[in-house]
Amino acid sequence: MHHVVLERWSRGRSVLHRRDARAKTLALLVFLVVLATSYGPLAALSGVYFALLLSALLLARLPVAGALARSALVLPFSVAFAAVSLLAGDAPRAAALLSKSYLSALAVLILISTTPLPQLLRGLEQIGVPHFLLMVAQFLYRYLFVISEEAQHMRVAALSRGASVRGMAARRARFRAAAGALAVLFARSYARAGGIHRAMLSRGFQGRFHLLAAPRFGWADAAFLLLAALLPAAARGFLGGWRP
Amino acid sequence: MHIPDGFLAAPVWASLDVAAVPAVGYLVRRAQRGFEESRAPLLGVMGAFVFAAQMINFPVGIGTSGHLVGGALLALTLGPASAGVVMTAILAIQALVFQDGGVLALGANVTNMALCGVLAGYLPFHFWGNGPWRRFSFFLGGVLSVLASAVLALAQLLLSGIRMPGSVLGLSLGLFAVSAVLEGLITLTVVGALETLNPGFIRQATAGHSRALGLLGTVAVALAVFGVLIASRDPDGIWKLAGSLGIAGRAQALLPTPLADYQVGFLQSPWLRRAAGGLAGLGLIFGACVLFGRLVSKSRSA
Repeated sequence: MHHVVLERWSRGRSVLHRRDARAKTLALLVFLVVLATSYGPLAALSGVYFALLLSALLLARLPVAGALARSALVLPFSVAFAAVSLLAGDAPRAAALLSKSYLSALAVLILISTTPLPQLLRGLEQIGVPHFLLMVAQFLYRYLFVISEEAQHMRVAALSRGASVRGMAARRARFRAAAGALAVLFARSYARAGGIHRAMLSRGFQGRFHLLAAPRFGWADAAFLLLAALLPAAARGFLGGWRP
Repeated sequence: MHIPDGFLAAPVWASLDVAAVPAVGYLVRRAQRGFEESRAPLLGVMGAFVFAAQMINFPVGIGTSGHLVGGALLALTLGPASAGVVMTAILAIQALVFQDGGVLALGANVTNMALCGVLAGYLPFHFWGNGPWRRFSFFLGGVLSVLASAVLALAQLLLSGIRMPGSVLGLSLGLFAVSAVLEGLITLTVVGALETLNPGFIRQATAGHSRALGLLGTVAVALAVFGVLIASRDPDGIWKLAGSLGIAGRAQALLPTPLADYQVGFLQSPWLRRAAGGLAGLGLIFGACVLFGRLVSKSRSA
C-alpha cells in the first residue's frame, strides 16, 4: 500500500532524514512557490528543478524509480486538464500543467518520505498551525488503516452475500444495503473513538503527543534551508523571467 | 475535486491561502468550544471513517458506482464547525501523504470543500431540519455541498486562465450535477439508516426558523455558486463593477509586494486583470459565506 511504503521510507537514515522538520517544510514551500510562479523557458527550468529534486532523492537514499512512479499519481488529473487545454489551443499551458503538477508532487513526496508524520506535524505546530487541527490529523492518520480495514471486511461480507447481483430491483436494494453498511461503520467508528479516548486517559494522556527526541533546529538545518531555498530561486533567476 | 499544485494562478492560490487561515482558525476554536476534550480523537476517527467510506460502493447506473464525499453527512452529525475541521484535516493528509491535491492549493481546496462545501451542506438542515421538509433538507444538503465545492473549484481553474471549450465545460457541469444528486441520495439514505440505529447521531435543528429565510439562504448559496462561475467566465464585468466601487485602486495597492519590481504594467496584463477581477468576486462571495456562517452559528448558540 502507498502509505505503508512511504512510512518505511520516512524511517530511513540520511542527511535529509536528519534535518529538522521545520527546515524541510519551509524549503518545500519555497520550492513550490518558485515553481508555481515560474514562467519563460519551461523545458530548461523544469529540467533544472527536476535535477534538483533528483539529487535530493539520491541524497536521501530513496529508491529513485519508485519515487518517480509514485509521484505520477497526480498525472491522471493533470493529463485530463492538459488535454482540455490542448483542445482549447493552449499547448504551452498543457505542458506547464503537466510539468508543474508532477514536480510539485515529487517535491511533497520527498518531504513526506524523509520525515515521519509525527515529526512533520510537530514541525507544523512549531510553525504555527493550530494544535487541535494537528491532533485531529494525527488521529485521522493513525486510525485510517484500522477503519479502512473494517470497511474492507464489510465490503467482502456484502459481496459474499450477493451484493454484486445485477438488475433494476436489485440496485435499489443494494443502494439501501450500502447505506446501511455505512451507517454501521459510522456507529462503530463513533464508539471506537470513545473507547480510544478512555484508554488514552487511563494511560495518562494529557492532551499532547510526545516525540521520542525533542526537535532541534541547528546550524546544519539553517544551512540546508538556505541552500534549498537559494538553488531553485537562482535557477529561476538565471533562466526565466517573472512574466512573459 | 482536489486541485493539484501548478494549476492555479499565483493570485488565486495565494489569496485563498490567506483567506483560509483565519477561517480555519475560527472553525478550530468553535469546534473545541463547549465540548469535552474527547473531541480530537472523535474528529480524527470520523475523518478516518470518511476516508474508509470511499471503499463502500453505491450502484449508480450501468456498471458505474459512486461513493460518499461526506461533507454534508459530517455537518449533520458533528455540526458545521467540527465538520469543517475534519474536512480540513482530511485535505491536509491527502495533500501530504497521498499526493491528492496540492500543498499551495490547500487553501483553495479547504475553501471549496471544508468551508463552503460543509456550510452549503448544513444550510438546508439548519432551516428546515424540524419541519415537514426534514428529509428533503438532508438530500438538498448533500446536493449543495458537492455542487458548491465542484463549481467553486471549476471557477478557480477558469480564473487561473485554464481555457475550456464550451462543450467540455457543459459536460463537466453535467457530471457535477449527477454526482451532486448521488451525494444527496447517499446522504439521505445513510442519515435514515443512522436514525434507525440511534436517533442521537443526528443533531437537533433549532426550531423557529422561517421557511422564507431558509429559501432565501439556499437561493443565496445557489446564486453565489453560479455567480462565481459566470464571473470567472467574464471577469471583466466584475472588474468594472469593482473599479466603480473603488476596490480596483485598493486591489492594485494590495497586490503581492514580492513582485514590487514588476508592478509597472502589472495590471495592464489581461491575464492578471482577469484573475484580479474574478478574485474580487470570489473574495466577496467568500466574505459572504463567512459572515453567513457566523450569523448561523450565532443564532444557534442564542
